[in-house]
Amino acid sequence: MKITKLAVLVMLSTLFFVSCSEDDAPEINPTPIEEETSDPYEDGLLVVNEGPFQNGSGTVTFISEDLSETKQAIFEEVNGEDLGNIVQSMTFNDSIAYIVVNNSHKIQVVNRYTFERVAVIDSDLFNPRYMAIANGKGYVTNWGDTADEQDDFVAIVDLETNSVVETLPVELGPETISSNEEYVYVAHQGAWGQNNKVSVIDPSSDTVLKTIEVGDLPNTMQWDASGSLWVLCSGAPSYAAEETNGSLVQIDVTANEINQTFDFNTEQHPGGLNIDGDKLYFGLDGGVYEFNIDATELPSAPYLENASFYSLTVKEGKLYGTDAKDYASQGDLLIYDLESKELINTLIVGVVPKGVYFN
Amino acid sequence: MRNFNFLLAFALLFSFEAFSQKDSVTVLDEVILTDVRLLHFSNSQVEVLKDSVLKRNGRSLTDLLQFNSGIYLKENGLRMVSSPSFRGTNASQTAVIWNGININSQLTGQVDFNTIVPINYGNVQVRKGGGSVQFGSGAIGGSIHLQDEILFNSEFENELELSYGSFDTRGLDYRTSKGSDKFAFGFGLNYRASENDYDYLGTDLQNENGDFETLNLNMNAGYKLSEKQLLKFYHQSFLGDRNFSGTLTAPSMSKYKDYNTRNLLEWNHFKNNRIHRVKFGYLYEQYKYFANKERPDFSFGQTNTFLGNYDYKISFDRIIIDAIVDINRTTGDGSSVMQATRNTVAGTLLFKHQLAENISYDLSLRREFVSDYDSPFVYALNAEYHPNEHHTIHLNASKNYRVPTFNEIYWITGAGSSGNPNILPESSYQLELGYGIQFIKWNFNWAAFYISSEDMIQWRPNDTGVWMPMNISEATNYGLEASLKYKENWGEHELVWHGGYFYTRAKNDEISKDLMYVPRHKATGNLSYAYSTWQCFYQVFYNGEVFTTSDNSEELPGYAVSNVGVSKKIQLTRNLALTSKVQLNNIWNKNYQNVAFRPMPGRNIQLNLNLNF
Repeated sequence: MKITKLAVLVMLSTLFFVSCSEDDAPEINPTPIEEETSDPYEDGLLVVNEGPFQNGSGTVTFISEDLSETKQAIFEEVNGEDLGNIVQSMTFNDSIAYIVVNNSHKIQVVNRYTFERVAVIDSDLFNPRYMAIANGKGYVTNWGDTADEQDDFVAIVDLETNSVVETLPVELGPETISSNEEYVYVAHQGAWGQNNKVSVIDPSSDTVLKTIEVGDLPNTMQWDASGSLWVLCSGAPSYAAEETNGSLVQIDVTANEINQTFDFNTEQHPGGLNIDGDKLYFGLDGGVYEFNIDATELPSAPYLENASFYSLTVKEGKLYGTDAKDYASQGDLLIYDLESKELINTLIVGVVPKGVYFN
Repeated sequence: MRNFNFLLAFALLFSFEAFSQKDSVTVLDEVILTDVRLLHFSNSQVEVLKDSVLKRNGRSLTDLLQFNSGIYLKENGLRMVSSPSFRGTNASQTAVIWNGININSQLTGQVDFNTIVPINYGNVQVRKGGGSVQFGSGAIGGSIHLQDEILFNSEFENELELSYGSFDTRGLDYRTSKGSDKFAFGFGLNYRASENDYDYLGTDLQNENGDFETLNLNMNAGYKLSEKQLLKFYHQSFLGDRNFSGTLTAPSMSKYKDYNTRNLLEWNHFKNNRIHRVKFGYLYEQYKYFANKERPDFSFGQTNTFLGNYDYKISFDRIIIDAIVDINRTTGDGSSVMQATRNTVAGTLLFKHQLAENISYDLSLRREFVSDYDSPFVYALNAEYHPNEHHTIHLNASKNYRVPTFNEIYWITGAGSSGNPNILPESSYQLELGYGIQFIKWNFNWAAFYISSEDMIQWRPNDTGVWMPMNISEATNYGLEASLKYKENWGEHELVWHGGYFYTRAKNDEISKDLMYVPRHKATGNLSYAYSTWQCFYQVFYNGEVFTTSDNSEELPGYAVSNVGVSKKIQLTRNLALTSKVQLNNIWNKNYQNVAFRPMPGRNIQLNLNLNF
């Protein structure tokens, strides 16, 4: 009898102890487990999904390296909270991922392998778009108020305190951003309007060093092995006041000047520049084109036909294209082998899949 | 007078033989109603909301229909834009008819149900299904009819109501009416303002940027020119100044100002079994949307509509014929809509035949000629059979349509979106079978419906990534509706129950998935009890779960929301009565969203003081 009572008492106190320890006393852990070497999202793909347009939350989908396992909405699952409205992009710095959430005007800072939230940067951002890391700092493009063409800026983030320490006014519509050892390059696509510049920021002084005029609506940038920057410009679309041609521009970053420009036809509006080895890939008119960086003219025929994607990512011989379908349902990730040009896999991801990243 | 509508319908059904002999007084009663079509054609599936129901939930059409009909309503947060889904159809497939004219926005095809204040109308009628082809575009799921009452020979009456409630919500309502033998006049005003900063239950967030201020005006006047001629005028204006609240994941800085005005002048000539009516109307709608309320920039849209209507109705022993010609000229423009004009000429023929004492049928035919697209020929057939005085069976079949809106055709190409000049009207075929049992104390009705729609319009990116409306999908809707009313009186006590259950399936046939935001189950219940000068009520509605993505991968859970209220009337003097009322909304403090990521308020209170003199 006494033993039974004692057992109950022990059991109860254990329960109490456990429930206590969860909240208040994490240091008293009866069975400390050796840290596993493999975090849940360490190896595989991360797909950033914008989420529904008006009301809702974007998500991140994890796909295991062997593509056998897909897990939706991992941020929500790990943190018990919504990621935010219109998830635009993600940028890595060591083990940290910065997830830029456009319409919530914030950046969710997470451990890229566990997706546990480290911090949230939610002040001094206004329609943030993309982020780059340089000189130990974060550089985030912001449209500001979309009705105001004068208030666009680059927010400079202290990566220790995860806060915006400075805002640098820039030209209209800063979009994608990329850095090398020396400078930060911002493509000014033009937000809701249009622009045709790449600005060069010196991260040691945090000033705009120069703006380089490229083609209309520069949308994506890539670095080649020799260190020069390729900028793809879509040109003004058919519904603009004046339709202009797309162009592919190579920038010499030692002088920060245009090295060469390849012009498309006026009706051609390419997007989604990627690089794999010495080959550039981009999307145009429902196909994917391949361009060798040493080539002297633009390709005339698509490398992949009937391949139109919402976003396009190329890595190590594979092309990852997303299909947003009707923008109100789960999208698809389509994976092609670039050598065989075969579609090798189709996976269901989140609503409006915007970008593919690799862990 | 209030029950006039019902009485006349009743008289029609059971004493048709005497119809042609009715005296001019009856005819006058009929012409006082502007929308005579409501009386005689396809009226078996009409729900009339009036009196205490209208008083209880009459502040917005959203409230009224949420608790008293099978219509599912989506509100972008309390008192923000509200849109209906009637029998699983979309928001532009419910027609709102004001004194006989269709007032759906020419820009969006919809009516924001939070901009309609039903309390000033004599009654609000909910017509289910496609029997309303004569009202033109949009009456696919059904139509909502707002009917002014012109009261000849009535006392000078005034009603003033002040209200205050949670979230600093203030209201002022005033109504007055007076009628002599020759002249009648009515006026109503409704002002409402609120901080609307309710807490999002279960979070530490608030409904930010949701404050609003709205003003509604109604006016009507009638003048008997002679024994055989009646002149009427109707006016309604709504001015809204609302900030649009954010969502759980995104803040909002936006503001929306809208202005709607509707005017209608009508001349009636009646003699024996014939009525001529000539109507002239002017409608104006305008909106201004400020993406950032602190900035002067806004986008806007506006339309002007002039309409003329001639209606000739003749009644014989067993037959009523009504022929209507409508002409309509609408011009629209805006920051995103190119300046455009649409001219419409429409002919409608209505025919009702009392085949036998207990069988009748009616036929509606309508053909429109529209300057900027091809409009289909539409028709409806409705038949009713009364095996005896307690039972009614009806059958309805129709073809309906919804015209492309100005936005859909004339949206200016730019910023990645464009209108589509080649868009086709949405159209549908429907079938409905219903059955009703009526006794003095209770009645029970059920109806089963089937709707097959094609050329449903959706905005999608085209090959070049430009968003534009396209005729994409086909849909099939079917369902079952049942409602029960019960009323018991003893001594000074009165007990009334009114409730319904509505089962709806709406499928996108293209992908075999349920349409978004259509609950399979909806239920309503209203129980009220009155004793002497005391009144109390309990009301509840339940919306089942809805899908929020087109592939049904995400959903919102179902919820039930209940209100209770109690009121007491005090007769201060012979001509002055005071009624005070307390109403608790969402008494179970249910945390719910009817649009994803837009929480609705928890428990809240509202106090009213009503003076009648």
